[in-house]
Amino acid sequence: MLVITCPYCQEAREEEEFSYAGEAYIARPAVPEEADDATWGDYVFHRKNPRGWHWEQWQHVAGCRKVFAVKRHTVTYEIAGSWTLADGKALYLKEQA
Amino acid sequence: MPKQGFQPFMESPLHHFKLDAEAQARRADGRIWCNELPHLGYAVLRGDTAEAGFAQLVQQVTGLALPLQAGAVSQGPQGVLMWTSPDEWLLVSHRQRLADWTAQLDGGFAAQQLFAQTVDSSGGLTLAWLGGTEHITVLRHLGVYDFESIPLGHMVSTVLGKATVQVIRLDGDGVFVLFRRSFADYVWRLLRRAAQPYGFAVCQLEARGDHPLFAQLAAPRPSLILA
Repeated sequence: MLVITCPYCQEAREEEEFSYAGEAYIARPAVPEEADDATWGDYVFHRKNPRGWHWEQWQHVAGCRKVFAVKRHTVTYEIAGSWTLADGKALYLKEQA
Repeated sequence: MPKQGFQPFMESPLHHFKLDAEAQARRADGRIWCNELPHLGYAVLRGDTAEAGFAQLVQQVTGLALPLQAGAVSQGPQGVLMWTSPDEWLLVSHRQRLADWTAQLDGGFAAQQLFAQTVDSSGGLTLAWLGGTEHITVLRHLGVYDFESIPLGHMVSTVLGKATVQVIRLDGDGVFVLFRRSFADYVWRLLRRAAQPYGFAVCQLEARGDHPLFAQLAAPRPSLILA
């Protein structure tokens, strides 16, 4: 079981209270009208599925019902931290740069 | 001749357990004492604390300070206001008073052009009181949260046997457990089953002040709630 800290409830809670909400920060095509089918296909269906650190979204369904960002290692299940989506995005973009 | 037509009446989701008939005076005998407090009014309050006037309006109408800290419960003689999310609160009071409050709040929101709303969910929730020396142990049988760590005047939203519940601690005597009406039968049976090793009894709850939830003390008597 993962122990995830909810940035809104500011408490470490058991995984049972949360629901996985997919990969975080998937960029929507900037100009949707001009995006071709391959770009839309990638946006809708292709995920990173990395071996290592992964930015993902979790929802605290049994608590505050907010969605937030978690950085989790997919091999060791270690959690580097959890942030609100806005706070996490800044860190995520810095990492990707 | 009996009156004809639609005659609605309120019925507790646990009415089939006939708790009133089973209720006895509470004693300090190590048992788990429990009863339902039906027919309260619940409203979800949504708003943005960054907007000037929102917290003031809520305080002005309900007399309750808007709790800003995670899990905090604001309690007054006429009702309670609980933090459920950074932009969401649960307001609990008697049904009629709650209806008056939500009407005033909605009017205030519209007049001040605040991005806020109230949603009445009185039909969807019910409340039980759980007490006795081992009441925390019972909760620990059912849920993953460290229930003994809930500070006074706080509530926690978690799962008991997969059902979402809010556990509210207002004093050291017992806790209030808030759950969905649709899960009421399940949650009640869960609590009763988990309490079995310690002994389970339905207690008479005496209202001190207006209502036990509002007046802090644990002795609610269901018949008084609608009075």
